[in-house]
Amino acid sequence: MVSEYLKSKQAVKLPADCSISAIREVHGMIRDAFEQPAALEIDGSCVDKADVTSIQLLISTAKTGREHGRAVALTAPSEALRNVIRRAGFAGDAAVDHHFSHKMDGI
Amino acid sequence: MSSPDWTESFRQESSELLETLEGALLDLCDQPDDRELIDCAFRALHTIKGSGSMFGFDKVANFTHEFETAFDRVRKGEIPPTRELITVALAAKDYIRALIEAPDSTDQIIGDGILDDLRRFVAPSSEQETASPQPAASPVAADEDTNDDTDLAGWRLHLEFESHILRNGSNPLHLLDDLCKLGPCFAVALIDDVPLLDALDPEECYLKWDVTLHSACSRDIIDDIFMFVIDEMTLTVTPLTRRELSPAALTPTPKTPAPRTAIADPTPPPAPKEAERAQEPRREEPKRSDDRGIATVRVQARRLDEMMDRVGELVIAQARLSQLASASSDPSIKIIAEEIERLAGSLRDTTMGARMVPIGSLFGRFRRLVHDLSLELSKPVDLITSGEDTELDKTMIECLADPLVHLIRNAIDHGIEQTAVRNAAGKTDKGRIELHAIHSGAQVLVTVRDNGAGLNTARIRAKAEELGLLSTDAELPDADIHQFLFHPGFSTAQTISALSGRGVGMDVVKRTIENMRGSIDMATRPGEGTTVTLRLPLTLAIIEGLMIRVGEGRYIIPLSAVEECVELTADDQRARGRNFLNIRGDLVPFLMLRDMLYATGAPDEYQKTIIVSTGETRVGLVADQIIGSHQTVIKSLSKLHSDVTIFSGATILGDGTAALILDVAQLVTLAQAHADKQHLNEAA
Repeated sequence: MVSEYLKSKQAVKLPADCSISAIREVHGMIRDAFEQPAALEIDGSCVDKADVTSIQLLISTAKTGREHGRAVALTAPSEALRNVIRRAGFAGDAAVDHHFSHKMDGI
Repeated sequence: MSSPDWTESFRQESSELLETLEGALLDLCDQPDDRELIDCAFRALHTIKGSGSMFGFDKVANFTHEFETAFDRVRKGEIPPTRELITVALAAKDYIRALIEAPDSTDQIIGDGILDDLRRFVAPSSEQETASPQPAASPVAADEDTNDDTDLAGWRLHLEFESHILRNGSNPLHLLDDLCKLGPCFAVALIDDVPLLDALDPEECYLKWDVTLHSACSRDIIDDIFMFVIDEMTLTVTPLTRRELSPAALTPTPKTPAPRTAIADPTPPPAPKEAERAQEPRREEPKRSDDRGIATVRVQARRLDEMMDRVGELVIAQARLSQLASASSDPSIKIIAEEIERLAGSLRDTTMGARMVPIGSLFGRFRRLVHDLSLELSKPVDLITSGEDTELDKTMIECLADPLVHLIRNAIDHGIEQTAVRNAAGKTDKGRIELHAIHSGAQVLVTVRDNGAGLNTARIRAKAEELGLLSTDAELPDADIHQFLFHPGFSTAQTISALSGRGVGMDVVKRTIENMRGSIDMATRPGEGTTVTLRLPLTLAIIEGLMIRVGEGRYIIPLSAVEECVELTADDQRARGRNFLNIRGDLVPFLMLRDMLYATGAPDEYQKTIIVSTGETRVGLVADQIIGSHQTVIKSLSKLHSDVTIFSGATILGDGTAALILDVAQLVTLAQAHADKQHLNEAA
């Protein structure tokens, strides 16, 4: 039953601009995605602008997933996003894996 | 809606920063050891450089960068901010202003010369380079000593930001990047406070950081990184010795559910001295609320002027409505007219309040003037200001600048003696100029007082006789002789010196003040100094007036000048030849406005006298009727009426007609001239 549940997934593709100027919209997008009873996959491949707000939103998403027993994965983060994650004090895979334990491509 | 003019915003912001810079530099003359002043000057420079670069003012950014680099040795405590250095720094500040205001017409050679001077002052001399270690004078030297003593090898930092900081444009990642430039740096983000999605405000800052920095840099260098955000964060800095920097600290990211606890190693005992400083919270004042950013709003002065004009028109329209309502029998019209009158009055007060500016913004400009003149004339002078919080209409502040410049320049140039002369007279080496402002009823008194030699009455008299203004055998009290200083052409002759050149003489000072409906008092004591007091109304736009009728015309007297109203008795009228009233034992001269204004129609049987005061003089103005108080929106008279001095303006009444505003000071002067002429005729 659980494995079937996890098979259905909801994908969210982060926009190119995930900085503070657009973060409110991204927040709304992720909240909407959480409405669906499925695992959440966040595609970070297109992100070319990110900052502290982007990182906080990802952390909050991961926490919310844990809180609600929902799987959350961050996939294919772009170079820009990886760079910001590293600068923000998540210096390696381990730190991010701790929050997005399902799938962490390329960090 | 038009987009904001960022270039203009930069100019405005820079203007304020340059004032801050100038103020800090001038303060450093007296308090060269004040680190906060040095930091303040440096912050202003740093911001101008950054903003200049951002807005395309490359010349400003480049010059300020050089200035900042040269000044950096002062900031590091390697050289003291001497008076000579501050003088060059002030010239550099002036050059930056010129670059901002007229970049194309500013000569780069001047800037290069200033930078050369700056570099010369701050360059280490060969003696300094070869000398044995400096005495423990500078903070940096002290830091280095501390480092040696305690084997300082790094720092542990904990960063917490106020939640709104990201909205302000601050970016903690840049701060972390800057820390990384100091040496190997390991930052750990603390995520405990990041809420779930539903509670998340995505623009607020929830992350905190623990940072381990492997660098024996001084604490000041770390503080510099946070200088622009220190008011909006809590920064805890703990020094670490080599022993305390265990290899475990190099582990970048703890793989534990709670990162914060992972790095919460037992904090080793900090190094002495530096540790005492470091462990003090960097911000001791209570946190300010998030709405601090909207506590003030920058508004263009032009918009305030426009708003005042609209309010003026509204007051006139409201007066008309009130007049119509008073003639109406409809009570609802009366009620709404009263309501609008109340609202218009409230709006007028609010608008006038918004235009009020503390006079301290003006006083600040004179510190530089005094500093420069003091150097130029080799007369050490202290400027002491008080009453900076006294508020005046912004237009008044603008008009007041030139007269005060002239008065202060006169005081230093002609009033304050050379040091040797002062010593011979038993005075201190330093001269003193006091600038004071205070509210007095509906007026503001601005006083310029010096402790110099006082006015030279004999010299003034000789000059007046030379110019044919006074006969050699005329006997005049000293105060009257001093009034010649205000005579056109008189002051120009008196102030021919290297300092002259603005074309503003004492006569122009007087005219400017009188155009502002103000007056000047002057008092002097030989050997002790001179005091010049400017009496100014609070505003130039709307005043409380007393409306009177003279013949068939209506006139306004500024209520601030009115002391009382009395009825002109039959005895007074019979004694008209003397033109004096007995006001509770004091003899007060009075003027028949009917005569002065050539009024038509029969005079009222019971004439009224309005006692007004101009400076030390009290005068009665006799009118046919006192109508009552009136909100007077002042309108300028046309140029055609510029030679009519007894009116300071006009106003529009509720019925659409105009009433002239009497200039009380001019009326009294004119009346005195008439009286003198009359006496001469009678004597003849």
